[in-house]
This record gives sequence, structure tokens and C-alpha cells, in this order.
Amino acid sequence: MPLDSFTRLDPVIHSRIRLAILSILASLKEAGFVYLKDTIGTTDGNLSANISKLEEIGYISVKKAFIGKKPHTSCSITKKGEKAFSDYLKTLEEVLHFKPE
Amino acid sequence: MNETSARDEIRFIRDMIERTRKIAAGSWMFFLIWGMVAILGVAGMYVLVWQEIYTWIWPNWIFFMGIGIVFSIVYGKRFEKRSGAKSYPQIATAHLSIACGTAFMLVGFVFPVLDLYVWGLIPILISMLAGVYAFSLSGIYEWNLLKWCALIWWVGAVGMVFVHENYRALFFIPLVLMGYIMPALILRARYHKQREKNAA
Repeated sequence: MPLDSFTRLDPVIHSRIRLAILSILASLKEAGFVYLKDTIGTTDGNLSANISKLEEIGYISVKKAFIGKKPHTSCSITKKGEKAFSDYLKTLEEVLHFKPE
Repeated sequence: MNETSARDEIRFIRDMIERTRKIAAGSWMFFLIWGMVAILGVAGMYVLVWQEIYTWIWPNWIFFMGIGIVFSIVYGKRFEKRSGAKSYPQIATAHLSIACGTAFMLVGFVFPVLDLYVWGLIPILISMLAGVYAFSLSGIYEWNLLKWCALIWWVGAVGMVFVHENYRALFFIPLVLMGYIMPALILRARYHKQREKNAA
């Protein structure tokens, strides 16, 4: 069962930065790039690459705009992302409740 | 994936979610400013009564309420921009504040001007509404202390019934101290603690 659960774990989410992004976005309506960077404690490049990956797969949506003259990027979780995150949590729970015979 | 690493992942997710709570705690300034506005409004009203300048009582309240509204709008926008995120409790609180703020205006200004009831009823109705506001916030923030604050407001509303109407508004001072200023200071301490924790 734990091995089966491991194979069912979504490889896109099974990365610390991407898991952090989804955990934060699951509890917020939207979050800006700087907020995510400060909350997770990572670099611009690393965060940017992981956001792109999540956006590409459709787990988050990214809005780019200008506030005054400054560019502003905000992210929010999509329905697909919510489902994937919820499935990921369920799989983790299954591992925790697994009792070997 | 074994039990230890699953537990570690869940702990990590919980930690990330916990960090977003800093935004909710950051609303302490709203409590503080509205608490101050209410205390100054009551103090101003009694000074005017003492000086027998009754016609200035309504402008006194409009002035302090105006300060509160302008501050809430300006600080709210700045707070949202600075925090860089929009949480669901934040959205729910904004809606609740607008709803209760409108009710405060109707109960405190519009209905008495329309002679629907005597002005001595205003502090009682305002306390009742303040209790509803605090109780609803306790659910949004999952903070039981605000339930006690709501209870204090409702007990205060009942207590006012047994006091001469000229002195009812004085009840607001201890009620505001317990129902607004105290939660503001606790939230402020939480906000700074959370900020330090996130920085670490």
C-alpha cells in the first residue's frame, strides 16, 4: 500500500516549492509573487520556474498587471489545482493510516 | 513514501498554511482605530452635553465616524497592497464590516432622525449590533476570545436598560476597551510574533 501510494503521488506537486505554492494558494484567494517568495523563502528564479510549471499543467492561474509603473504578478489556484492538492492530501492520509498485515 | 515522510509532508503543508494567518492578524489596526473613534466620539458627546451645545452632537459623531471610514478605506487598500495577498477571512471581514457599518449608521443616525425611536435607545441597539459583529468575526478568525467580547457587548446592552438614558453611552468606554482595544492589542502581538516566525 505505501509503495502504491507513492506511485500515485502527483509528481508535479511532489516538490517542496510547488507543494508550498499550492498549500499557500489553497488557503488564499490570490497571492502576489513577492508574498509567495517571502513566505516560502526562496529565490526569484526558483519560484518563477515552479510557478511556470504549475501554470503549464493548469494547477494555478497567473495574472500579470502593472500597479503604477511596477509589474505585479498574482497567482491563484484553479479547480484542477484544488482537486490535485486534495488528492495529494488524501494519498498522504492513506499512507499515515496504512497498517501492515 | 513511508509514514515518517508523509507526516513530514503534512507538517510542511500545515506550516505553509499557518504562515498565511499573518494576514488575518494584521487587521489589528482596524480594531484599534474603531475603538479609539468610539471612545473619542463618546467623550466628545459628553463634553458637548456638559457645555449644553446639543446641536453639535450629531456633527461630532459624523466627524469621528468619517475619520474611521476614511482611515478604513485608505489603510485597507495599503494593507492589501503591502500584504501582497488576499485571504478569504479578509474578504469576509470586509463584507461583514460594510454590512455592520451600514446597520450602525441606520440605527445611530437615520432611524432616530426619522423619529422611529427615542435617542436613548441608540446605545442599546449599537451594543447589540457590536455584539453581532464580534460574534461573526469570532467565526471568521476562529478566535474564541471574540465570542466573549460579543457576550460583553450583549451584557452591556442589557445593563444599559437599567441605567438612566443620559448615562447609557458612558457604558461604551469599558465595552470598547474590552471589545475592541483588548483584541486589537492581542492581534498586534500575534501579528508581530508571526512575522518574526516567518522571518526565521
